[in-house]
Order: sequence, then structure tokens, then C-alpha cells
Amino acid sequence: MRGPLLAVLIFALGATTSLVATAQQSALPPTPLAHPGALPPRQANYAWEADLLRASFSYRDVLADPELVKKLSSGLPTVIAMRAYVYREGQDTPVALAARVCRVVYDLWDEVYRVHVSEPERERDQAAVLDGVLRLCTEARDLPVVRRGLLEARQPYFLAVVVDVNPVSPEIVDQMHRWMSRPSGSTGIGPSDALFGSFVQLFVRQIATSDKTLTFRTGDLTP
Amino acid sequence: MAAGLVAPGVVRAAGAVGLKYTLEGIEVRGNRTTLSRVVLRYVPFRAGDVLDVNDPELELTRFRLLGTGFFRAVQLSLRRGTQRGYVVLVVDVAERNTIVVDDVWLGVSADVNPNGEAKPLTAFGGARVTETNLAGTGIGLGGAFAVADSQLGLRARIVDPQLGSSNWIAETELLYNNARDFFGNNDVLVNGQAADYAIETYQRFGGRLGFGHDLGISSQLLFNYRLERITANVPLAASDYRGLDVEPIDFMLPNGASILSTLSATIVHDTRDEQFLPSRGHHLVASLDLGLTPLGSDYPYAKVVVRASQWFPLPWGHVLGLDAFVGGIFGDAPLFERFYVGDFSDLLPDRVLDLNFDRRPAPNYLSTDIVEIRYGNYAAKINAEYRIPVYRGHRSIYGVDFFGSFGVYGVANGQDFTDPARGYLGFSTVPIDLTFNAGLRIDTQAGGFVIGIANLVGLAPVHGPEQGAARP
Repeated sequence: MRGPLLAVLIFALGATTSLVATAQQSALPPTPLAHPGALPPRQANYAWEADLLRASFSYRDVLADPELVKKLSSGLPTVIAMRAYVYREGQDTPVALAARVCRVVYDLWDEVYRVHVSEPERERDQAAVLDGVLRLCTEARDLPVVRRGLLEARQPYFLAVVVDVNPVSPEIVDQMHRWMSRPSGSTGIGPSDALFGSFVQLFVRQIATSDKTLTFRTGDLTP
Repeated sequence: MAAGLVAPGVVRAAGAVGLKYTLEGIEVRGNRTTLSRVVLRYVPFRAGDVLDVNDPELELTRFRLLGTGFFRAVQLSLRRGTQRGYVVLVVDVAERNTIVVDDVWLGVSADVNPNGEAKPLTAFGGARVTETNLAGTGIGLGGAFAVADSQLGLRARIVDPQLGSSNWIAETELLYNNARDFFGNNDVLVNGQAADYAIETYQRFGGRLGFGHDLGISSQLLFNYRLERITANVPLAASDYRGLDVEPIDFMLPNGASILSTLSATIVHDTRDEQFLPSRGHHLVASLDLGLTPLGSDYPYAKVVVRASQWFPLPWGHVLGLDAFVGGIFGDAPLFERFYVGDFSDLLPDRVLDLNFDRRPAPNYLSTDIVEIRYGNYAAKINAEYRIPVYRGHRSIYGVDFFGSFGVYGVANGQDFTDPARGYLGFSTVPIDLTFNAGLRIDTQAGGFVIGIANLVGLAPVHGPEQGAARP
């Protein structure tokens, strides 16, 4: 009797279930947010320059972690990428996007930060100390956001902002996918029986798509 | 440019500002068990190199190290060298547990008792476990076992993913199987006695030595040499119906001891974006096995297998996967190298570590003479799978897809082409059958799970206990 009983028990536990170590990378390309209106609110200032909307806001807390500040002086590049999506209140599809990317490298011998900022209409290089880096890289000032013609009059709009520190490039994500499917230098000698081909993926997929991600929304603006 | 002549300087390029230094050395920190030389295998820089801080290899190095599975965190940084313009690359690692459960097998099968009488369902199970960073050397040590009633399979493997710091992978494996297999379909004669099934028992003991090399980022070439001693206990005389005729059973192993010695080459081309829930890319495996009779093998044969899979992304995140398999064995291959119907049908348990747990023939939905075939020298299969995403997450569960699959497969021997079993006419002489499955694919932090209905459906005979076999 024990045989059938054990069989039923194991069957109940998962006779139709097979466990295979696998791989999936959770890294995804930047996409608009699922529920932008529900993001935590943050103060922003708007100004119209002719028909161009400009916005100013801060995201300095993206570097609140002392480890990230320490990483700024690692001698290797740190990228702070900000995306501001323009949404109409109550809708989940953005009507415009403004991006701002700041790349910082600490010059170990001159003891100064080299900063490159890219944003709509302008690019600039600067040398700065740490306070200057924080100001240049974590504050949007008069950021060109959207032309009035793209907005519907007398309707409320807001910005949904995503800030990533050291986002992983799509090329890297692609490479990681390959490694996860068949990790370089760690594949078993057997196409159907790989020794390593699986578990590595479990670890790799835990890699975040950036060192830190901050999201928030601004108050409404009615054109 | 000579290393010593490189002066540090600001490098300006579109969208980037960077610096170049001369690399004075590389320092590995945080490794308690992993040897520094193991870490350095994955760092493509050497003292004296010109280091551009924007070199993508720096970022790739971090992911390469994370990809080993040895570390839970890796950080790269620079510190000043001993003279202006020189830097030291610092690799900070945090080690992680490297003992991993790769596979778990659980299931039920229709078994046979030692007298050859059909038994109800019995359980089988097994697991594969690996220490991926043995004593910090980067060498993997793995073991696997599978158990069922009167059957045991064991494996032990050692893998060096970078043999002698080269780009070659080396692997050696020991295997032991105490196995049995079942022949017939509820009506056989064994040594003059009627029984449900004829049983062959055999033991395998041996090893395998393999080498592999990457052929670019998506391809790999693998070579294996295998040597085994097989001891089989085969019934002296056994016969079974093949259609309307009674024929002797071919147990595909000689009675007593024999030697299997093979050389194989396999090429793999893999562009899948993911392994468990791929949405695009393809996976191609082609292999050739040769029995080395000049080196003492008792099995002169050649085995060729090609398998190709392609995934297509569709609107709404749906995915269509197509899979094709074709294989042929030419010569006298041992039982466990032949193509088994259960490996092609979702409705029967697959073999685990080459152990066969199930006595049932193919389900035979198309009422063909596939029901007469358990093992064959030729096999082909085409299969399509449609997946619909149900859930996507980033924590414990990464994705859940509903899937439905449908395929057609065929398994045959040369005799089935030249002399089909009597009692079958027209289409029924083509030994093919349908396979299908539906359920959920669940990708989790602990691994990927497939929950399907095929195992359950397969427990219900389609055409009664003999599955529609033609009998006098």
C-alpha cells in the first residue's frame, strides 16, 4: 500500500511540475510608467517661454545613499539619467518626454569631477567639486519640456519623473541575456544537460537595472 | 602607444567626458574563499595597459564577474598609482553561497513488478546539486541522483570553466546506473511463461571527458569522449506481438558485460533572449556520436541529432515558439542511446539520467503502429507552443505565462519502413502520434516551474490497456 500512497502524495506535491533552473533578466528598456498619477508628489516650478513649457525641480535625494556619493569618486563614470514624461491627468499614455543625462568622472590626479550634461537644446562640460556635481546632476533648471501645441487647453497635465543612477545600457542587457542563456565560460559539456547553464541566471537576474531608481510626479499644470 | 608615455588627460567625445590612465596594477578585495587569480580571469586588463575610463569592458567586467555566480556584489573603482597618470584598478567582491540545486524531478509512472506484471502508479524522483566554486577555485563540482522502484542513477561531475586560464571548458563525469526497462504491451512470453511485460535489467558504470570552446558570443563547440562498462541481464528468450505476428524481443543490449566507447561533437548556436521564457531568438543544437569499435566498443553505431527552435514575439506580449527535431541512428546502438517515445510525448514521463520509469506505449491518438514502438533508430518531431503572459514581476516571481503546445512526432526503426507490422493498413502504418500540453510556465527566483495537464491526461488510456495495438 505504501507505494501507491507515496505516489499519490508525490503526485499531489507536484507530479506535473518540473523544476528547471532558468534564466530571465528583469531588465527592461525604459518604458512609461504603469500608474503615473499614483506616484509620490513633488514640488516643481513651471514657466512658459513663448509656447515652450519649462520646468524646474530637484531630485537630489537620488544620491541620498552615501555609497552612491562615494561611488562618484570611484574614478569610473557615474551616469544620472532623468526622464520626465508629460501626462494628462487621469491618463496613462504620455504626450511628451524630456530627458536629461549627467555623466560624472572623478579625475584622480587633478582631484576634480569632470561633468558632462546633456539635455534638450544644450550640452555642456564642466569641472566641479562635489557640491557642484550634486547641483549640476540632480537639479533640472528650466528644462524644456513640451510645446503648447501638444497640450489640450484647460486640461491638467503633470510630469512623471524617473531618475536612474547608472542605468544598464540595452547593449549590456542584451549581453546579459546571452550569458544567462549560456553563461560565457561556464557552460556544461552537454546541450541538454548543462551543469552551469541555469543557476547563474538566477543570480544574474538579481542585478538591478540601475544602482538607484527614483520616481515621482509633479503638481498639475493647466495650459 | 607605449604605456609609460600616456599622460592623463580629459577625453571628450559626443555625450561623454572621460579620462585615460596607465594601469599600474589590479587589486582584488573582499574575496575570502575565491582565489584572486580566479577573479582576475574575468578582468581583461593587465598592468601597463592604457585604461580609458569609458571603456565598455569595465562595465562588462562587472557583469562577467556577477555572471560567474560566485559573487552577490561586484564593484570596480580606481585609486591613484605611485606616480602621476597611473592608477590601480580595484575589484571589490562580496561572495555568496555557491551550492545550488539545478534540477528537481518528481513524478509518477506506470511501473512493472519484478515478475513482469503491470503495477499501478509508482513514484520517481531525483535532483541535481552543484557546488559552483569549489574551494574558491572557480571549479564546479556537481552531483545528481534519480531513484525509482528498483532503479538508481548517479552522476558526479567536475567542470573547469576556464581550463588552465584558457578559453577551453573541461568537464569530467562519472556515472552509475542500476536500471531496468520494460518490453511488450500486456502480452509477452518470457522464457516460455506468459507475462504482461519482459524486463531487462542492466548496470552502467563509466565516465566522460569533455572539452568545449566558444565560437563567438552565441556559438559553442563541444567534444566528448565516453567509456562505459555495461552489464545486462537479458531474458534468455522473449517474444511479443508486433501487429498480428509474434516476434522475438530485441533488448538492444547483449547479455553479460560489454563496453561502450564513443566520441561526440556538438555545436550549439543560441541567440535566445532568455532561457525559460524566451520571446525571440533561436536555439540550434547539432550533434554527432560515433561508437569507437576500433577502441574496443561493442556498439558500432553513429547517431546524428539536429534540433532547432525559434521564438517569435507577437502583439500583446504573446510568443509563438516553433521546435523541430530530427535524429537518426545508424548501426547497433545500446538501448539507452535509442530514441524513446516518452521523450517525445508530453503524455509520458521523460527519461531522467537515462532511467526509464514507465512501461506504457505511446498514447496513440492517431491509431497508428506507433503503439508497437518503444525505442527507435529514427525520430522526428515538430512542435508549436503559444504563450500568453499572465504576470510580470521583479521580486520572487519574474513571470507567469499560460502556454498551450501541440506537436506531431514519429519514432521508427528501419523495419517499420521496409516491413510494417501486419494488421495496420494505409495511414496507420506511419508510426506517428500527437502530443500536446497546456498549463503555466512560472519563472521564479527559485527556478522555473512548468505545471501542465499532459501528465494527468496521459494517465487515461485512449484505446484501452493495449492502446489500439492490432492483435490476432
